[in-house]
Amino acid sequence: MGPVALLVLTIAAILFSAGGILVSKFLVRGSVNAQKGQPYECGIPSEGSPWNQFNVGYYLFALLFLIFDVELIFVYPWAVVVKKVGIMALVEIAIFFFILFTGFLYAHKKGALKWM
Amino acid sequence: MLSDFFILMKQELVIMVIIFVLLLLKIGADMSNEKMMNLANGLLLLNLAAGFTGNQPGVLFNEMYVTNPLIVLEKNILNLGTLIISLQSFSWLKKHDHVPEFYVLLLCTLLGMFFMISSGNLILFYIGLELSSIPLATMANFDLAAKRSSEAAMKFIMSSAFASGLLLFGISLLYGATGTLTFSEMTALITGSPLHIFAFVLLLAGFAFKISVVPFHLWTADVYEGAPVAVTSWLSVVSKGSVLFVFVSVLYTVFKPIAGNWYNMLFLLSVVTILIGNLFAIRQNNIKRFLAFSSIAQIGFILVGITGSSQVSSASVVYFVLIYVFSNLAAFGVVALVSAVTGREQVSDYKGFYKTNPVLSWVLTIALFSLAGVPPTAGFFGKFFLLMAGAGKGNYIPITIAALNMILSFYYYLRIVKAVFMDANEQPIERLTIPAYSKLAMFICVAGILITGLAGFVYDYIYALSFGF
Amino acid sequence: MSSIPLTHILFVSTALFFIGVYGLFTRRNLITMLMAIELMLNSVNINFVAFNKYLYPHTLNGVFFSLFIITVAAAEAAVAIAIIINLYRNHRSIDVEDAQEMKY
Repeated sequence: MGPVALLVLTIAAILFSAGGILVSKFLVRGSVNAQKGQPYECGIPSEGSPWNQFNVGYYLFALLFLIFDVELIFVYPWAVVVKKVGIMALVEIAIFFFILFTGFLYAHKKGALKWM
Repeated sequence: MLSDFFILMKQELVIMVIIFVLLLLKIGADMSNEKMMNLANGLLLLNLAAGFTGNQPGVLFNEMYVTNPLIVLEKNILNLGTLIISLQSFSWLKKHDHVPEFYVLLLCTLLGMFFMISSGNLILFYIGLELSSIPLATMANFDLAAKRSSEAAMKFIMSSAFASGLLLFGISLLYGATGTLTFSEMTALITGSPLHIFAFVLLLAGFAFKISVVPFHLWTADVYEGAPVAVTSWLSVVSKGSVLFVFVSVLYTVFKPIAGNWYNMLFLLSVVTILIGNLFAIRQNNIKRFLAFSSIAQIGFILVGITGSSQVSSASVVYFVLIYVFSNLAAFGVVALVSAVTGREQVSDYKGFYKTNPVLSWVLTIALFSLAGVPPTAGFFGKFFLLMAGAGKGNYIPITIAALNMILSFYYYLRIVKAVFMDANEQPIERLTIPAYSKLAMFICVAGILITGLAGFVYDYIYALSFGF
Repeated sequence: MSSIPLTHILFVSTALFFIGVYGLFTRRNLITMLMAIELMLNSVNINFVAFNKYLYPHTLNGVFFSLFIITVAAAEAAVAIAIIINLYRNHRSIDVEDAQEMKY
């Protein structure tokens, strides 16, 4: 164990990956054409540059997702102790979700969730 | 147990209920702007009245939430400031599309300040601080199409995020050094080792950003100029006042063991703050920028009072913030009205203001006299108590510098008064009709300026509640 | 397994914090500045978790504080990005050097 095992593992990993590349290099007969350079070799042909700009409205979804996603971090510690605390814990998480839900309703009312 | 919760957290719960009422009204009902503002002002008045009755001292959640008569008084002062600002913003806000949102954000920041003031634990303190500064950035951006407004909001959110980063790093070191986050347990564990001092310096930097003490004041003038006037007055009075209250209580309880260290730091900061604030205020041409720098100088005076660390100093800080609410909001009330109706904010625009608007001129003059500290007004008594508290330590150099700076500040305050009364102007600001709400707010402010100083029981009441060491 | 001493972790977090401060002061792109602020906040998280694990393993104060920092930082980033978008609409740029309407 220890450093020797680490060394053996490293060498084995290098041999495994390098071997695969080398073997395929010798075995496969290559053909080069324009189709091969495209991102999706099979399927619809791609158009335009990938650097086009997105509508700024998409950021709203990202922001809303960010908030609701991160707030759920508080539910994990809650889930651990909910049995021990009992009915109070249920009431508290209901208040928490009520607050979040009000924000969600507001976003809905402002039309932030409409797909453009 | 549960009734304790409702009684002790009454002020916060009232604010929360108002927030949800306004938000649900926004979602559910289509109300006109005027109706919504009438409702909001009524609710804020109820909130102010509710703050005075049925309060009890006590602690909740393992000392996470603390309340006592002094904290209740501080919250009532903030409530009063909120009501006055809400009344003053009427003429600006009635043309705006997002009235309920303004009140929701305003009350969210107020809620954050309340939690911050009555925090007994660093977690609640941090949450309150962030709750009181993040919505404030969106409020600074409330003139959505104005370039200056969005620039001000950007500067505010960047500097406040940086400040809270510094503050948090200090808190984390403090936690590492003491192993607790509760204020009352921390006091016994702070010994003044280099790690404690370093953590304190980082905390001090965070606080100094929020109250714009001089090396950290650079955001202040830009944010004040760019933000709408209502938000500027909120920033300069209520937001600063709340952080000052917490600052005093944290300094006097948690960092009591290293008082010798922070005394020197605050002493230096106060002198620099007064000097820089005054020198920059002299050369300003925009009246909001001018008021920003004058408020920096006022913070310097408050720091002089804080260095005293006696019962007098904590009482004089609360007393001065109360007076500052009246005098600064009176000045901002006039500026808000002029800015909302005519859009003019330069000092030179105020030339010949007396000829067209004598009442507003007198309100502005009384407010500026009170800010400068001319004797019959309350501002004189406020500054007098602050300097007296600072002198209690026997270190007369900062007191002398502060007193000399008061003379310097007379120059620039009187410059505005001269422009208003004496200078001729070909295009003076036209005669303005004052809305009833603004009239009421100005009346409260002027009455406060004239009465608070002379009625000795106000100071005696605050003194009886205060603490020091 | 020999454990990593606390000082190493503190070194990483302090370095991260000051890299964040450096980035905030030198970068002129607002999004990058926001990332620098996130670096600062994350270094504080490392501090809290490390202190809690090494020095005070019987309580959970530090871990909970870092939970709150994560959520508040997310809210702060959301508001800051919204403000930056609005700034871009008004100024057509997110470079802080271009936002110079007000100077003294």
